Amino acid sequence: MAAAALCCRGLCRTGWLPTLQIVRYAKSVTRHWKAMHFERQKLMAVTEYIAPKPAIPEKCVTPYIRAIKEENGYAKLLRRQVTETFRDSKMIAVCQHNFIPSEEMLLMKHRLRKHNIHVKFFPNEIVRPYLSVSKYKNLLPLFVGCSLMLVSPEIKAKEMLRILKNVPQINLLGACIDNTILSNQGVVNYSNLPAMEIIQGQVVGTLSLLASQTCALLHHSPVHLTALLDQYIKEQSGGAGETDGKAGEGQAELGPAKSSVGL
Amino acid sequence: MAVPKAAVALRHVKSVAVRFCPFQTNVETTRIFLERVNSKKARASNINCVVTTDVRHDGSEPVVDIMFADGDRLIMKGANLTAAEMLSAFNSRCIAKDLKAEEKTKKKSA
Repeated sequence: MAAAALCCRGLCRTGWLPTLQIVRYAKSVTRHWKAMHFERQKLMAVTEYIAPKPAIPEKCVTPYIRAIKEENGYAKLLRRQVTETFRDSKMIAVCQHNFIPSEEMLLMKHRLRKHNIHVKFFPNEIVRPYLSVSKYKNLLPLFVGCSLMLVSPEIKAKEMLRILKNVPQINLLGACIDNTILSNQGVVNYSNLPAMEIIQGQVVGTLSLLASQTCALLHHSPVHLTALLDQYIKEQSGGAGETDGKAGEGQAELGPAKSSVGL
Repeated sequence: MAVPKAAVALRHVKSVAVRFCPFQTNVETTRIFLERVNSKKARASNINCVVTTDVRHDGSEPVVDIMFADGDRLIMKGANLTAAEMLSAFNSRCIAKDLKAEEKTKKKSA
């Protein structure tokens, strides 16, 4: 700008003055990137730093260490809860969980809670690894999709079935009662069984029946024999009495006949 | 396997009967279909539709038996089907029935 101004003054009338020369691109500090002088460019290219390469690249030597993902604290808590649930429960029923309105769900939970049956929801990602390691391996196919568990420290199959009958959205798939895996029908049959005391009484009665039958069988033949002998004696004594009577009658008949003959 | 989250409409369905044995390994898709059919929106679309579930332990194949209101019947054996396929087959039939119903109403109005 200043050079242009100087140039203008110089050019005003007298023409081009050699003292004032138009120098293009005079500024060295520019606002834009300015290309280096060609010789400087060549020098920079020649003197560029080349880093030393190792003989074996580091990628081949150092092993790839994957960062270990730390487990979520919530997952640990859920796993602990699953372990405690399976350890402390005698009855574990697995059901298919379809959509159920919240009021009905609340009512169902309340009715089950009265019989000390708890409703538990666990994610399949937590339950399946635990089951595959524990003794409940055969329950693995049940934990697919949306499922819920009904657990209880006591065995109350009848009450549970009665409550589930009123809730058509919850379908019983299977159960593990007293370390025995049962299907739907198995749970129904189990609920129809009588109480333990009645069954024990029936077993004792059956066993004692055999023993009593043996005793009766052993006594049967001598008793029969004595009865037959008694009958025989009675017949004999009855027959002898009749013959005496008959003999007496015969003699009485012969007597008059003899007397008639004597006359 | 991502199952599409589109709602199932039971408008033209009279009844749905699902039968499966839960201890088998090929039951997952049938159970997912059952969850979808029992979802809130599906139940709200038709209150009169009866959904019955038959849980057996006889090693039988999982079967879904759908009876439509106009007498059609759709039986799907879910042993080798994916949930997406079952849902798409069911939805396509529902859409076809919707179109038929629309055509009928148009003819009646015309």
